[in-house]
Amino acid sequence: MSVYAPIVQPFNFRRLVSGEWLAISESGDFTFTTEDELDALQNNVARLSLERQAELKARFFLSDKSSNTGRARLLASRRAARRSTVAEDPSLHIVVPTLQCAHSCQYCQVSRALTDSGHAMSPDDVEQVCSSIFESKSRVLTIEFQGGDPLIRFDLVKHAIARITEINRLERRSLRFVVASTLHQLTNEMCDFFAEHQVYLSTSIDGPQDLHNRNRPAATRDSFQRTVEGIQLARHRLGAESVSALMTCTRTSLAFPDEVVDQYVTLGLHDIFLRPLSSYGFAKRNQPLLGYSADKFQMFYERALKRILHWNRAGVELREVYASIILNKILSTFDSGYVDLQSPNGAGSAVLVYNYDGFVYPSDEARMLAETGDRSLRLGKIGTPLAALTASKVRRRIVDASTIENFEDCRTCAYNQYCAPNPVDAQAQFGTMHVRAPETEHCNRHTWLFDFFFEAVRTADDWTLDLFHRWAAPAGSDQHAQG
Amino acid sequence: MRKAEITRSAHIDGSVHRVVSAQELQNEWTPELRLAVHIGQESDVEAVSRLRCGGLSNLGWIESNTLQPGDVFVMRRDGTEATVLFRESDRHHALFLTNRCNSRCLMCSQPPTSQDDSWLVQEALETIRHMRRLPSVLGITGGEPTLLGMGLRHVIDAILRREPSTRIEVLTNGRLLGDKALADSLLRGLPPLVSWLVPLYGHVNFLHDFVVQSPGAFDETLNGLLTLRSYEQPIQLRVVLIESVLKVLPELCAFVGRNLPFVREVSMMAVEPIGFALANTQECHVDLGDWSASLENAARVLSRHGVRQILMNVPLCALPETLWPAAQRSISDWKNIYPEECRQCRVRELCCGTFAWSERTWRPTAIKAIEKAAT
Repeated sequence: MSVYAPIVQPFNFRRLVSGEWLAISESGDFTFTTEDELDALQNNVARLSLERQAELKARFFLSDKSSNTGRARLLASRRAARRSTVAEDPSLHIVVPTLQCAHSCQYCQVSRALTDSGHAMSPDDVEQVCSSIFESKSRVLTIEFQGGDPLIRFDLVKHAIARITEINRLERRSLRFVVASTLHQLTNEMCDFFAEHQVYLSTSIDGPQDLHNRNRPAATRDSFQRTVEGIQLARHRLGAESVSALMTCTRTSLAFPDEVVDQYVTLGLHDIFLRPLSSYGFAKRNQPLLGYSADKFQMFYERALKRILHWNRAGVELREVYASIILNKILSTFDSGYVDLQSPNGAGSAVLVYNYDGFVYPSDEARMLAETGDRSLRLGKIGTPLAALTASKVRRRIVDASTIENFEDCRTCAYNQYCAPNPVDAQAQFGTMHVRAPETEHCNRHTWLFDFFFEAVRTADDWTLDLFHRWAAPAGSDQHAQG
Repeated sequence: MRKAEITRSAHIDGSVHRVVSAQELQNEWTPELRLAVHIGQESDVEAVSRLRCGGLSNLGWIESNTLQPGDVFVMRRDGTEATVLFRESDRHHALFLTNRCNSRCLMCSQPPTSQDDSWLVQEALETIRHMRRLPSVLGITGGEPTLLGMGLRHVIDAILRREPSTRIEVLTNGRLLGDKALADSLLRGLPPLVSWLVPLYGHVNFLHDFVVQSPGAFDETLNGLLTLRSYEQPIQLRVVLIESVLKVLPELCAFVGRNLPFVREVSMMAVEPIGFALANTQECHVDLGDWSASLENAARVLSRHGVRQILMNVPLCALPETLWPAAQRSISDWKNIYPEECRQCRVRELCCGTFAWSERTWRPTAIKAIEKAAT
């Protein structure tokens, strides 16, 4: 027998809604296939055409008895590339200076009124956070301020950014500052400071004025108008690409997919993040008012994405962030660093959250959970050495609960090269990390997203596939900078 | 190797020489070089004799229509034939390090031999020493230059010692770079001005191994590419457009995009119709005009993965206009012609033309003048 005779390697497969079959190999390469071909792969691979054998070999479905040193090295490097962001030191450092916010959004779990000044980080902790961040050896450090609304305590934000910049004179890391805010409190003076330190702003736009104001009520009843003014001010002072926005889909939003997208186009935003509300992401008493089933969101998402593609086809550049995350897994071999689909999960290793309450948490979701009374995910007090945080019991629990090899459901899932359980989400939904993945919203939503985008890729025309590849490239990579 | 017709003085022996003009001799003379004065007028011969009598024993003279001052040459075959080692006025320059090779590619333009030719390394070092100034880009070619082991590194180091800003392009199949000790001695500490041009002829081992007629070559080349990457070396992949390769070109590009996206670019090259290609016409004799769709698909796949594409040796009349920007004027000056049909062509200045030997063998496509100017 020839040394090139094919030997089938482990792979996963799944039937898509359209009835087509999808197969995914150990390298994360995929192919659309048929029942007959799956049968050949399982029983008599030699009956496949040589051309098809070549394609499957190039995608790591097949191997052979010839020398395979290079192939093995390549496969190892492909697998390592997918884990690169969690294998390194923390690069995303989220700082929560205050829980105060001018809004009283129904779906928000954490914010406190403007009059409630008790929920702010102490100056000592701010000082400590600034030096703790540099314990990470990551060459690139993103420092993101969340809230509440961080601009309500601009004094703390300003102090932190200035101090971190000062420390960096010796450290010489590549720094990126982001402030997530309603932008209602944004002033010229703040803009000057942000311009000086190249700070990006991230805000929320839930859709057209009425929808936005209904989702995100403020005492002044003009939250949409004021956020838009903030965006305009920031663009004027900091540059056209200085602000990005995301939306949270409430039950009210479900009826307005086109209008939501159109609002982003009107505002000239180039990114839109269509985020579902998790059923456990707000006080239980609001469930009947705000909650909706997964299929309702799916319909909303499909409609909205269709509208986004329509605009892109018309020459308007608008990228949907959730699509980018999923397409990155499918189409790119450079990991975009989205921690919630990593195995093991990146919470507490790629990301650390320094909370106003003096504790470090593994993720944004985890510190929000603490506000509902579950403080079990604290990694340690602010100031705890990085090595102790990443070796903490909580981090070890997260690793155990998100390593796909540990779970039968994940081991047999077609998408296990791209996806993994999210223990923090599981804890939020069920009060424990030890839940079978298929019972979690995280699993259901992402399985649907992978199904949806594989079908979209399968049926895409050349133009759409070009666009999908552009979306799939990690943000900030120079992968598409070349002509 | 390119030959030149010359008449020479008896003092021009089998060493490497630089051609100098009588006028520039004073400026260029140093004791450690061998110089051949390019005779412009009768009196130059006498002048050379006088200088030799005066003790400048590293001088001789030549008459030649082809060699010009600044060129470097050597007499071969017992002094009957001048081989041009470096021609200052060329657009492309390369040092030839060996004619031995560990592959036997179907379309090899310069079929390898197995004799020991290790003296070529010394000749290359002498060539470098005899150049007036180094070109901005200098190729290193063979045969397979990594067969020389440290000899290759000595040549690279010699170039960089003379001119640290020279961009060096090593044409190699990379198969030996899987050897850790060899790779380390070759690659450690190289500046990023050295790049590696590595042929890849398939997305799968049996295809590539067939084209290079060497079992195991695909896997060794993959290993070599990963080694080059680990030393952060710039890589250009080279895909020669023979029929077996054209059939799978988009798949090959997808393989590159997903597995080797770290390469700087992929160069797709039309076959040079000479050498082994003449014995394998079934594979090598293609009309690239028939393969536009395959070439366009391949370009699309590469661009999706952010990998740059270059087309070499492909005349513009073989390509859809969308691919013109990728096409380069790649054919070495001395091999290059523009057939009769090109006379009326409006884009001739942008086009690589054809290999001179195409006229005796086959052309890469039905050459035709393009009337419309490039848009």
